[in-house]
Amino acid sequence: MILFSAKDVSKTYTNHKALDKVSIEVEQGSIFGLLGPNGAGKTTLIRIINQITAPDEGEIFFMGERLKADHVHSIGYLPEERGLYKKMKVGEQAIYLAELKGIKRADAKKRLEYWFEKFDILSWWNRKVEELSKGMQQKVQFVTTILHEPKLLIFDEPFSGFDPINTNLLKHEILELKKKGATIIFSTHNMESVEEICDSIALLNKSKKILDGKVGDIKQKFKKNQYEVVIPNERDIRQYLTDGVKLINSINNPYTQVSTLEIDKGKNADLLSNILLNTDLISYKEILPSMNEIFIEKVSNE
Amino acid sequence: MNKIAIIIRREYLTRVKKKSFLVMTFLGPILIASLWIIPFFLAMNSETKSNILVVDETLIEKDGVKSSLYTEKFKNTSELNFSYEYDISKAQDLLKEEKYDAVLEIVKTNDMPPIKGFLFYSKNEPSLSAQESMRTQLTNILKDHVLVYDYGMTEKDLDWFNNPKIGFYSKDIRSGKDSYKEIKTILGTMSGFLIYMFIFLFGAQVMKSVSEEKTSRIVEVLVSSIKPIQLLMGKIISIALVGLTQFFLWIVLSFVLIAGLQSFYPQTFTEAQKEDITINERVISVDKIQEASSSSAEVNQIVQGLFSIDYVLVISMFLFYFMAGYFLYASLFGAVGSLMDVDTDAQQFTLPVTIPLILAIVCFPIVIQDPSGTAAFWLSIIPLTAPIIMMIRIPFGVPAWEIALSMSLMIVFIGFCMWMAAKIYRTGILMYGKNITYKEIWKWFKYKN
Repeated sequence: MILFSAKDVSKTYTNHKALDKVSIEVEQGSIFGLLGPNGAGKTTLIRIINQITAPDEGEIFFMGERLKADHVHSIGYLPEERGLYKKMKVGEQAIYLAELKGIKRADAKKRLEYWFEKFDILSWWNRKVEELSKGMQQKVQFVTTILHEPKLLIFDEPFSGFDPINTNLLKHEILELKKKGATIIFSTHNMESVEEICDSIALLNKSKKILDGKVGDIKQKFKKNQYEVVIPNERDIRQYLTDGVKLINSINNPYTQVSTLEIDKGKNADLLSNILLNTDLISYKEILPSMNEIFIEKVSNE
Repeated sequence: MNKIAIIIRREYLTRVKKKSFLVMTFLGPILIASLWIIPFFLAMNSETKSNILVVDETLIEKDGVKSSLYTEKFKNTSELNFSYEYDISKAQDLLKEEKYDAVLEIVKTNDMPPIKGFLFYSKNEPSLSAQESMRTQLTNILKDHVLVYDYGMTEKDLDWFNNPKIGFYSKDIRSGKDSYKEIKTILGTMSGFLIYMFIFLFGAQVMKSVSEEKTSRIVEVLVSSIKPIQLLMGKIISIALVGLTQFFLWIVLSFVLIAGLQSFYPQTFTEAQKEDITINERVISVDKIQEASSSSAEVNQIVQGLFSIDYVLVISMFLFYFMAGYFLYASLFGAVGSLMDVDTDAQQFTLPVTIPLILAIVCFPIVIQDPSGTAAFWLSIIPLTAPIIMMIRIPFGVPAWEIALSMSLMIVFIGFCMWMAAKIYRTGILMYGKNITYKEIWKWFKYKN
């Protein structure tokens, strides 16, 4: 089921077009990566979803309806530029932000106690935000983002500013939220985390969507029929190359020779049987491009 | 709970709980009270009188009685105490013995008037006001002497001559009532100035608060939950409430403070008041009856002046212009605040908002001078200056159509300013690290909401 979709959304600012007929669809219960270089239009799209700005053209649907004011209660947003009231006490502030998302004070307090306990920040309840370390402020802000149990969560660079331990904690929580049925839109430059947690992505560049789909499908689509072949060190792969096989590179290690080959479709069998007839085959696997490579390739080709 | 209410609640409580609010709340009344109290203490403590020895060498003879012209004629003032001596060498000794601060020698002549001049010996240069006081007294006594002895005036004639009690009453030509300009001036000035203060103090707070939310970046989280206009309105309303709370507390605390001081130091106040009365008595002691009637006439005029004011009109107009002025400027200040950023200079945008306010204050005297003149008319019609200028004019009476015109223009203009502020605000708060120009702001009006 599609939880959220944007159809041909365009937005023009004073001097430039921020979005040019961008369409995306986000499956319920999935993690959707919104990728793109700086200035591609990600933040604009996110702001449109949050109804902070309105599109000039196009339509937005959420839970089967046109996006409307009430929907902000079902959306949680963690902006890239984090910010809290510095002079306000942590607990009070979290309650205030929850109230603005439509939660009653008493209810908000109960939920906050649960989350603060979980994130080990309960003892900071009565401290002012400015007394907290940056990492702790991030935790507070993360909790305020998810407290109203939104159906759709939007995280803009959620891991920036977290140390590795807290990054893991956060990743774990994001996957937990997904398990509980939340849908997540995830904007980042960190391609490793995209591979780890995203189900599907859309790639924006220069205000246009240039790629989208499931992460697995995209990788298949961008694979170059490259394979990694490992044979013992004393042999050389060059001796066994058959028709339709091209050597990309080859590295000699103490015991093994690791080679990257580009093999035309249907020519695998010939190569493999040739190798197997003459020497040992230690390993043989398909190389799929990383999201990082796809990102760089697509963006620099534009 | 309504979202604007949630915002108002937070903004109000955080402000009221601030230390600076508490400090200002308690400091304000102390300042106000000290304005009342300090003069009393000053009056009490300025007891450093100079003792002046008058050596009068003039001698006049009338009806066989010899007397000197100046002896026992000087009036003691708060600064000067006069004593008399006839022998100059004795006087100089007294001066050396430091019994007196100065000697005033009046050198005689046989001409008319029988004075050649004055010599003043002193260790320290007397204060300007003391010099002035002596000079005036010297001239007046001489003048009186001439009038009585040469022109045969009686003491009573002399008193009238010196202090002719001519009443000055201006009447309103339309109603035929007395116009009581002084009281109206005070009332108009006070209310106009109060509005100006409120707009400046609390309008600036709106600006500061908006720019703080922008620079701390929390605003992006906030506007993902509420509409920017709700946030701005909540802020403007709550700061107005904070301001009203502060004013209210100031008034209450000032009364408490003044009342408290009066009960702790009742003597200070009663003595100071007594002093006042005796001074009055000295001035007009010659004709007690006239004094009584004239002073009660003065009191009467003040009371009548106070009664002559249409308080329902003044208070309701004050409330209207007070709130209207605040909302007008607060929305403009809010828009300016949204243009501020840590690394960009938004001073250029503050100026156009503050200039009309300053203009209103600069034009204050012109309007008071001629409350129904052309300048006063236009400044009280133009919405940017109307809240301050119209309030000065109201106690003097303003034609109904002018009030109606000013008020309706005000309402229309507030609507326009809020619409404009909302447009600027919702784009401005999300605009970082960019130098914003007027040209660019103009384009923001075309953005879709």
